[in-house]
Amino acid sequence: MKKSLFRLTDMLELSIVYIFCFSLNLLMEYAKTLDLDAYILKAFLKNFIDYQPLIVSLFTFIVIVFHYQMLERKKAEIFCRILVGGTAFGITIRYVLDCLTVLISVYLLSALVNFRFGFNLADNFYLILIFVTYILISAGRVRKYENI
Amino acid sequence: MKKIIDLSVKEKIYRSKKTQISILNDFRLEAAAGEKIAVVGESGAGKSSLLNIIGLLDRNYNGEYTLFGSPTEQLHTSRLAQWRNQRIGFVLQESALINSLTIEDNIKLPFLYAGPDKKGVGEIADFDTVISAIEIKHILKKKPLECSGGEKARAVFARGIIMKPQIILADEPTASLDVENRERIVTLLFNMSKEFNTTIITVTHDLEIANRHDRVIRLERSA
Amino acid sequence: MKIFKFMVSKIFLRKAILGIGIMLLLLMANYITFTAARSVLSTFQGYQETKYVNQEGVYIANLDPDSHIDMSIVDENGTQAVYDYLNSNFKYAFYTDGFMVSVPNSDDMEISLGYLNEQYYKLNEFELSQGTDLDFDYQLDGEIPVLIGKGLSKTYPVGATIEMEESVLGRPLTLKVQGVLKQNAYHSNYYALNSKTYYNFSIIFPVNEKFIDRASMDIQFNGLMDIILLDTSEEEIASLREVIKDNLGLSFNFFSQKENYDYFNEYYLHSLKIIFITTFILLIVITCLSVWNASVSVRLMLKDFTINLLVGLSCSKLKKIFYGYFGMLSFVNVALISIFTAFNRYGCWLRKDAAFATYGLFGLIGMDWLALLLVAVSDMIIGIIIVENMLRKIKKVPISLGVLQ
Repeated sequence: MKKSLFRLTDMLELSIVYIFCFSLNLLMEYAKTLDLDAYILKAFLKNFIDYQPLIVSLFTFIVIVFHYQMLERKKAEIFCRILVGGTAFGITIRYVLDCLTVLISVYLLSALVNFRFGFNLADNFYLILIFVTYILISAGRVRKYENI
Repeated sequence: MKKIIDLSVKEKIYRSKKTQISILNDFRLEAAAGEKIAVVGESGAGKSSLLNIIGLLDRNYNGEYTLFGSPTEQLHTSRLAQWRNQRIGFVLQESALINSLTIEDNIKLPFLYAGPDKKGVGEIADFDTVISAIEIKHILKKKPLECSGGEKARAVFARGIIMKPQIILADEPTASLDVENRERIVTLLFNMSKEFNTTIITVTHDLEIANRHDRVIRLERSA
Repeated sequence: MKIFKFMVSKIFLRKAILGIGIMLLLLMANYITFTAARSVLSTFQGYQETKYVNQEGVYIANLDPDSHIDMSIVDENGTQAVYDYLNSNFKYAFYTDGFMVSVPNSDDMEISLGYLNEQYYKLNEFELSQGTDLDFDYQLDGEIPVLIGKGLSKTYPVGATIEMEESVLGRPLTLKVQGVLKQNAYHSNYYALNSKTYYNFSIIFPVNEKFIDRASMDIQFNGLMDIILLDTSEEEIASLREVIKDNLGLSFNFFSQKENYDYFNEYYLHSLKIIFITTFILLIVITCLSVWNASVSVRLMLKDFTINLLVGLSCSKLKKIFYGYFGMLSFVNVALISIFTAFNRYGCWLRKDAAFATYGLFGLIGMDWLALLLVAVSDMIIGIIIVENMLRKIKKVPISLGVLQ
């Protein structure tokens, strides 16, 4: 039995939602670089590119959903770990580190793709800030499950 | 006495990816109105499964079940739901409350599903009468997480009887209670049987409580 | 209704994050569908418009993209020579717009003047809500019959006159309102079919040979850019090309009906396919995320559903509640998209952008309502997928006392 709250399926789920958000951002960056002849395509893409930060930020809400449901499901486990000698602080730190591990892995993957296609590596950086904020806010909830 | 439960189960199978478990093999139960029956047995014998079947939650078994004179296989799911609302009450462990509702809202939950036509089935018990009898007036506005185990158990009991059901199914209702609260719940249950001729079926590990019923059914685990 | 209100307010909305999650995903799906639907509808409208023009023997002009415009060699004599040649050898449809003029009106808009000749007018079948068709046989010194857009009809009803300093001729003119165009009458760009300008704040000015002869070089030059030649052939056009080249130093292409259809197939159909595929893929992804969100909701609310089922809720009623809840979310989303679109359209009014100011029910025009209908249909499909998945997940558990232990 490992000390981490994350099972393989949880890691996979989190990776998929991160990959989705980074991919969406990357796609929009790619769309900006397209030199399109067809006005209709240009006009269609403009509806999304003009609102890129807003659209991508709204989509990141699914990461909040992941963190929320993950901790709700694990509240009994958190309580039991504390019962048998774990500490809320230790569990919180481990949780943050696990989330950051997944985030950094996915970011490196997206950075590789950025590099391959010649995009600016900093294009995805604002997403890192958003996701770290979500991780820290959700980590604050671990303490809530000390007594269920 | 009028027979209201006539259950005959050939077998109930639980399937998982690797195994198959068969319980309640050739099980037979008849219960009359007002009768008090305790169901005991070791873990995995099928006590809760039995309550699921009697309580019309589970129709996935091999057998026949006649309830209130009607074969349940022929009944539509909406009729089953109506009976669960008006004719069957569940008294469960204290965790069976919705945490986001107050105790009062939890108890009144069956009212939400009670249709306007309840003739011939019985009146809805007077809410205030039930609350006074069970002595939980002081926690009505609280949420379940703010209440003690005993208070929650009484709240679950109140919800189970508020519609004056003809059958009460109690699944280990006193499992985590102290002696005083345990006695309170059992007394309330037996009063229901005496006053309203309610059939009580109680699943319990407590042999002392089991022996106070009219009949004790012992379930054995299959080999 | 009582049960539905209870489930929504006491069960679903208690886990607000999940509700917000599904709302945002639906909003994105709706926005994508709406945008794609409008692009397609707008293109289709433009295509319908070009069908009137795109006939056998008709050639539409277009400046060759590789041709460089040197305004120093373009002069009045050159443009006049081209029109003289046109008048002698061709039947042509003339149209140009974008000439702005200040004419007092109740909405304080800058008015756009559109100039067209009789061939163009007949070719395009302008629909009127009031008045009669344009008369192209008029005297410049008298009252010139014009058509106006709906936005001007309050200030200038049929029969009213408009005094203005006409920039193309460089002289004051008296215009008489002959008719009012129907609400939201538009003109599509032939080379960007989904791009439209609306006539609500336009004056449609009839032009004839005499007018063009006296008009400024600007209007003559602009008119050549979209000139449409009727009942002609490749051989005749070849000489026109030479005349334009000699007098203006410009290379023009003239596209036949077949070439226009080929162009449409190559660019528009191909672009529409890309839009369809992109939209479809994005909707699939969003639907998968929504199904995941819904599964998560079921996992977290299973105990609450079980207790409700215990006390009398039936599975069929629960199904109706789920559909009702999803329908409610969908309605809110469609309303948000409508408000956003109406606000965008209203922005044109605030910016006094006469070419894009439109009238419509709650600020939305026909194309918007049709797109919203498609959004509602896509919501229905997504809703069915999500709700059936939720029910499947609940039934899989199965509902029993074990859930509560």
